[in-house]
Amino acid sequence: MQTPTEARRLLDRITTLVRATKGAEALVSIRSSREGNTRFAVSEISSSADVDRLAISLTVQIGQRAATASTNQQDDRSIDGLVASALRMARLAPDNPEGMPLLGRQSYAPAKNPADLATAKLTPDARAKAIGAALAAVEAGKVVIAGFLSHGNHSLALETTAGLSAYHAWTSCNFSCTARTIDGTGSGWAGQGSNRMADLDTAALARVAVDKATSSARAGKLDPGRYTVVLEPAAVASLLGYLTGAFDARRADEGRSFFSKKRPGDKLFPETISVRTDPSDPALTSPPFDSEGFPLATTRWIDKGTLTGLPYSRFWARKQGKPATGRFGGGRGGSVGWVLDGGSASPGELIKGVSRGVLITRFWYLRPVDPSTILVTGLTRDGTFLIENGAITRPVNNFRFNESPVQMLAHCDGLGSTSIPSGYEVGALRVPALRTHEFNLASISEAV
Amino acid sequence: MKLSRRSFLSGSSAGALALLANPRLSAARGLVTEPTLDDLVKRALAAATKAGASYADIRVMRIRREGLSTREERVEQVSATEEYGVGVRVIAGGAWGFAATPNVTAAEAERVARDAVAIAKANAPLMKRPVALAPAPAHVDVWQTALTKDPFKIPLEDKAELLLAINREAMKVPGVSFATSQYAAIAEWKLLASTDGAYIEQEVVRLWPSYAVTAVDDKRGGFETREHDLPPRQAGWEYVEAAPLVADARRIGEEAVEKLKAPSVAPGRRDLILEPSNLYLTIHESIGHSTELDRALGYEANAAGTSFATPDKRGKLRIAAPFLTFFADKTTPGGLATCGYDDDGVATQKWNLVENGLFVGYQTTREQAGWIGEAESRGTSYGDSYGSIAFQRMPNVSLAPGPKPRSLEELVASTEDGIAISGRGSWSIDHQRFNFQFGGQAFWEIKHGKKVRMLRDVAYQANTIEFWNSCDAIGGPASWQLHGTLSDGKGEPGQINSVSHGCPPARFKQVNILNTNRRNA
Repeated sequence: MQTPTEARRLLDRITTLVRATKGAEALVSIRSSREGNTRFAVSEISSSADVDRLAISLTVQIGQRAATASTNQQDDRSIDGLVASALRMARLAPDNPEGMPLLGRQSYAPAKNPADLATAKLTPDARAKAIGAALAAVEAGKVVIAGFLSHGNHSLALETTAGLSAYHAWTSCNFSCTARTIDGTGSGWAGQGSNRMADLDTAALARVAVDKATSSARAGKLDPGRYTVVLEPAAVASLLGYLTGAFDARRADEGRSFFSKKRPGDKLFPETISVRTDPSDPALTSPPFDSEGFPLATTRWIDKGTLTGLPYSRFWARKQGKPATGRFGGGRGGSVGWVLDGGSASPGELIKGVSRGVLITRFWYLRPVDPSTILVTGLTRDGTFLIENGAITRPVNNFRFNESPVQMLAHCDGLGSTSIPSGYEVGALRVPALRTHEFNLASISEAV
Repeated sequence: MKLSRRSFLSGSSAGALALLANPRLSAARGLVTEPTLDDLVKRALAAATKAGASYADIRVMRIRREGLSTREERVEQVSATEEYGVGVRVIAGGAWGFAATPNVTAAEAERVARDAVAIAKANAPLMKRPVALAPAPAHVDVWQTALTKDPFKIPLEDKAELLLAINREAMKVPGVSFATSQYAAIAEWKLLASTDGAYIEQEVVRLWPSYAVTAVDDKRGGFETREHDLPPRQAGWEYVEAAPLVADARRIGEEAVEKLKAPSVAPGRRDLILEPSNLYLTIHESIGHSTELDRALGYEANAAGTSFATPDKRGKLRIAAPFLTFFADKTTPGGLATCGYDDDGVATQKWNLVENGLFVGYQTTREQAGWIGEAESRGTSYGDSYGSIAFQRMPNVSLAPGPKPRSLEELVASTEDGIAISGRGSWSIDHQRFNFQFGGQAFWEIKHGKKVRMLRDVAYQANTIEFWNSCDAIGGPASWQLHGTLSDGKGEPGQINSVSHGCPPARFKQVNILNTNRRNA
């Protein structure tokens, strides 16, 4: 991971080289990290790594022509090569009439302790200890457990020849695990992300996964259909990511988005539903600026169920006469931290309000089916239970669903407290568990 | 600059003789440009051994990428990326350890070798059985993509002009609103050496020109997109030159417009004809992933899931109709996963996974072969960058064509009532590879042996074993096509694998067809 001084020295060297060419402007970014991870399966460690990474990206603009070259090598010869390559490509690239001038000096909201020293210094021994604690939660002979612990110490620095200078450093960590009963009839999962390793209790998460595995064993059949469902945070996050990914003014204006027929002020969801991007939430580990250095503010896109607006890139904002909001990194969390506001319901209260429904732990293999309605397909996994008369009564088979996050929020009538679930197919979103209705569990999956 | 391997092999006359005797190496161009790598490799492996590794390998890897993206009449992005680095993988105390750095110096390689051993030792107390590798011959060789035109040497303007020409043609079609086109080329160079004596240099070049055309209905709202079906391939620029990209652009545009106006499909059971551009992904998901041994034994349980094809079912489970044979092959010409050796240094090969409908084989690595009592690895280990741990990744997995010279047109002509699907749409399968749901790019209704009209909102949903057993006809050798993907994901942290799947068109009886239209919901 680079310090601000190290990053600045390299950025200055590159922008100075570009300035030597008349008419050339530059946006340079340097991403560096040291990442560690340990993977375990069948109740023992299966792989483990410490990896240093660096990515130096240079975009050169010459008038309306632009090109980007990237390298992970910082020696003089590589940097000279990077600059020469970007300049050569920019000269050859056709004009892009949508090219925007580079940003000059900006001010950014100060981040709230995004970097945690203990997480930055986490050693392989500490990882092994944390996983040993998870393995100890497993009762030998009943279940096996598999999982993943990762952590990183990151920095991102940006500079332009127009005077912009930005730097952000943060740490990240994620732990998730899946327990399976020895007979293969039960499976359970738990996972969490943060920027502080101290937030992750690997033993407690493993116990949740083990409990779910044993209580979901020998599931009975439940027919497909439309059900009231209680979705745990991992399920909410993975489906909500397809809605957050659709927030883009240009696609809406061009007629190829769910939001094409929507206008600011439209009431889409119940009063309890508010959705925002929040770069000030350190546990979401997103920088306070976009890839061009544009400052990202905390923005409420859905306020008490009402659409307030859509994100505009600088080009589209200029064309449409709207204020720019910055470029967002697409769906499933992207590069911006998304938050669905929580409520006051405890998990028990969410279940208590269900006469007949299904509790879903997480989703798997989500894919968009129809972008005009944000219809998504996917499957339930690792803990699916029948709820009857306000209580969990028995484990049931998994389902394929065909449903839209729009309907998930439109039919929502209960929200729990928020957390940041983390795992395969779950982006970094802060979301609550929620209760919703008419959820289309379309067909049975035999998978356990 | 050509590297002399003499320094690495000095003191090993047998190795030197093998080097001279190997016909592939004598014919090779020699790809290494940094002669200091010999020294770096030697020092890193020595440092790992000295620190206590019972096995070590080192991968020095350089990945170059070039990309262009356009929409309508303008180039949106031109990019070139280069990533270089060195990773050392060790076994110490019976556990794996891995460390990697982008600083490719002998001192840093020694440092990551020692770090890798320290990681392995930290994990060793939590191991129940020590990692053991199946024996493998020590290969010394060079392998590279067979190509005639290096795509990285083709002028950028030519690539931009090709993409803009595609967009221009597509935009001429009345009703077309948007056209986007992309080009991606990836060159993956790698030097692998191990304490078992492997010393292998390989370069794989892959590329993919692609485009999508969108029609928007301004009055009623709604839109449909049609992508071209040309697959990515391991090849040179000659592949792009031979592809009918511009020639097809009007047809693709017309199909986008027709799809937007097409009637929404009536759900229910119908006979289904899947063209190779669609069927390849169904093979990938339902046969390719289910026969990965690590998945079958629970090593992917927290991520990509497990598999219905567990070892107790080998030789017993009838996955498919008896005339269907699926084979794994990391030697298929042009295949995205094709190479000379895997990242364990094992020579690549071809073998059956499903033989005449019966599940018979797994994809394995040196670590995994012994788990099912096999003496040798199938050679499917791969790490997607210098910083990625090599593990079991899918080889090219293909469906053999039928013996009869049967074409797609003949399949359609012999179908009374059905739907034909081409191209890759939405795809999803459960974590044990039973229940899948796939879309496509273009859907045609078949009546009395003829494609009568396009349909929209089509998806097919089935259970893997029922689906493959419902197959009643496949195309012959001339109808076999190689398709593939550059973005097969697996593992934690997630890694990407490029893999091809060859198949003929095939017909399936009475498959569950869904209507995915929720526009009026």
